[in-house]
Amino acid sequence: MTTSLIARILAVSLLLTTAASAQEKPRQGGILNWFDYGDPGRLDVHAESPLVVQQATAGVYSGLLHYDPEEPAKVIGDLAERWTVSPDGKTYTFHLRKGVKWHDGQPFSSADVKATFDRILNPDFKSPKCGASLKPIVASVEAVDPNTVTFQLKFPAAPFVPSLASAWCRIAAKHVLAKYGDLNAPEAQIGTGPFKFKKYERGSVIEWERNPSYFIPGLPYLDGVKQFILVGGPTQLAAAKASKVMLWDAWPPMRKTQADELRRARDDVEIYQAPINTIFLIYLNARKPPFNNPDLRRAVNLAIDRQELVAKSLEGAGVPCAILDPKLVGDFALPLEEVAKTPGCRQPKDQDLAEAKRLVEKHHPGGLDIEVGLRSVGNYADRAQLVVSQLRKVGIRGTLKTHESAAGFAAWGKGDFTMIATQDRSMDVNDPSGIFHIVYTTEAGSNYGRLSDAKVDELAERALREGNRDRRKQLYWELQRHILGRADTASIPVGWVEGWFFLDKRLRNYKHGVTTYDNNTFMKVWLAQ
Amino acid sequence: MLAALGRFVVRQPLGAAGALVVLALVAVAVLAPRLAPHGPKETGFAPYVAPSAEFPMGTDQVGRDVLSRVIWGARLSLYVGLASVVLGITLGSLWGVATAYFGGAADAGSQRVVDSLMALPPIILALSLMAALGQSVTNVILALTILLTPTAARTVRSVALGVAAAPYVEAARATGGSNWRIIRRHVIPNCMASYIVLMTTNVSYAIVVEASLSFLGAGAPPDEPSWGGMLTAGVQALETAPWMVFFPGLAISLAVFGLNLLGDSIRDLTDPRLRGGLG
Repeated sequence: MTTSLIARILAVSLLLTTAASAQEKPRQGGILNWFDYGDPGRLDVHAESPLVVQQATAGVYSGLLHYDPEEPAKVIGDLAERWTVSPDGKTYTFHLRKGVKWHDGQPFSSADVKATFDRILNPDFKSPKCGASLKPIVASVEAVDPNTVTFQLKFPAAPFVPSLASAWCRIAAKHVLAKYGDLNAPEAQIGTGPFKFKKYERGSVIEWERNPSYFIPGLPYLDGVKQFILVGGPTQLAAAKASKVMLWDAWPPMRKTQADELRRARDDVEIYQAPINTIFLIYLNARKPPFNNPDLRRAVNLAIDRQELVAKSLEGAGVPCAILDPKLVGDFALPLEEVAKTPGCRQPKDQDLAEAKRLVEKHHPGGLDIEVGLRSVGNYADRAQLVVSQLRKVGIRGTLKTHESAAGFAAWGKGDFTMIATQDRSMDVNDPSGIFHIVYTTEAGSNYGRLSDAKVDELAERALREGNRDRRKQLYWELQRHILGRADTASIPVGWVEGWFFLDKRLRNYKHGVTTYDNNTFMKVWLAQ
Repeated sequence: MLAALGRFVVRQPLGAAGALVVLALVAVAVLAPRLAPHGPKETGFAPYVAPSAEFPMGTDQVGRDVLSRVIWGARLSLYVGLASVVLGITLGSLWGVATAYFGGAADAGSQRVVDSLMALPPIILALSLMAALGQSVTNVILALTILLTPTAARTVRSVALGVAAAPYVEAARATGGSNWRIIRRHVIPNCMASYIVLMTTNVSYAIVVEASLSFLGAGAPPDEPSWGGMLTAGVQALETAPWMVFFPGLAISLAVFGLNLLGDSIRDLTDPRLRGGLG
């Protein structure tokens, strides 16, 4: 955790924690109205990667570890009471809470933890979040006794604990997995979390209700959480302005114009600006023509004006070009001055545009026609129009094809696209390794372009294994220089996303998570009268 | 010619006003490349610039000139409206004429197909078709064609049933005229009035459906200068940039108003009970 991010989180937390709330006694009861940007469709938190899947199930499950709801930058035990690490840093032993029960009344034990991680770590099981983070690190998981579990690592790895604490590494019941085969069905949402899964009406609403047998006595304070499925910026903003939702803490963030509009409409909300550990990417399918040709990937890399995209589509709230954001990971990020001089990022664009045009003409003298995909969420349509407009300058004529959110993810996952105009990817952990293991390595869960670069794989693994901070930093700098310097990546980093969020002033003890996925269980949140 | 035009203006002043609006619309559509100060997809300007001398209708959320997009939008709307109406009404009319003339099981069967298509709410049918066909201007035309065909088939069939039973058609049969010749020489010409009225009254309908589909994100791709698509973008910044909604909304209203006035007038002129004649 970097100092800069901690400072930011503390600042946001300070803003959100009023003096009054510190002295008030938590109140039981009330329903928190929240929203999802789309319909999750599938609910398997181990097998899916959209934020809406995480949101739909967040309060239902517990992890072995999690980020402290009151100090979101700190990892604490959840189902694990405590843990120890062997002197060589390769064996982690977790001592589990006793007397925990699943929502269906069955007892929780180490067998459930083993079943969960055997599933996630299975090489044949595609787990784009938890699996993508842990597979490179964890060798095996063993249940020593009903209340003890050990994780054997392949090598000592700093990102192990933060990865394990990620909201994607939830513990599922062995008997539920055996009964349903996966965690997609609403009936299979049986966790040990503060809330029980109550209802899922496709395209409409998801509801949780208070778990009276939650393993922390007295929690949660809320009677339930209601998540409205609100697709599209105007609908979300209209709901916020009409006081139908009490919290806007997740993706997509509001843009400044939306925040200003909300500020004019409501005086009972706190509006704040924050980063959400999310990167805006453009993907090219490196396994299919025309972008199996590195020259054409390079042409797109050079043609894209990241600064214009950030200025217009994020209204300036973002960090253009960077693979790692210094605001989030400190000096692991290549200095922005150096990033600004790399091909595709450097301004003015004349030299890069001329080279891009030459590359397109070399292979397609009459220009190139491509289909450009996007999901119909957030302001992706605006971003995609800018991307297509920029490509037209170098002879690439894109036709936009819009997909419904879940259908789009399915298409990206199958490699069923030529180019994705815009796709945000949020980090699971606040560690420099995240972006590489989510987007850039061959096995990365969101390497939709399917570009395999042996040097990226090698450097990412070396950085993961490296215990010395300075050497680790040098490895990440080398990685960033390699990807940015080649300028033929299939995952073009446009910029790190920032934005505006709000919470109802009646909401107490809510803290913005380190990533957009964390701290959404609402276990300690309460509503003032 | 001028005298007939003068009589039309006097007897159908609203129709004349509608014709004027439609003529202006056609002129804007045809001359779009000359009239538009910038490309409809050119994003090189600052976003959300209020109407000014440089940008009379302001700029949109990605920095495009709204005036240029409204002008190019006339071309898209007219193209989609005319193409889908010509295709849909022509196919439907031919369908109606053929089933009315031949009658029997084919007529009964085909009318049940028409019933089924007309039972579906038009916008739901159009949305389903767009979901199945995918987003493109061509597919919008195809979906509108499918939407318009049954209405035309049902309307023209009702006229053609009367024509097919007329004594002059029986006489043509008695003299050995082939079915094709009778349809071509006698039935179709006598259904032309209905065909023309259907054509004129449905262009505005097609424009509104296209705009609705684009507004719902199921019509033309988002970067195409569709008036409906521009409304969708405008709604996202209703308070910040109301001009993004105002000008395309005004364009839709004017176009539909003009086409409706003209269509009503043509209907009046072709209806023997209403027309006073121009001659």
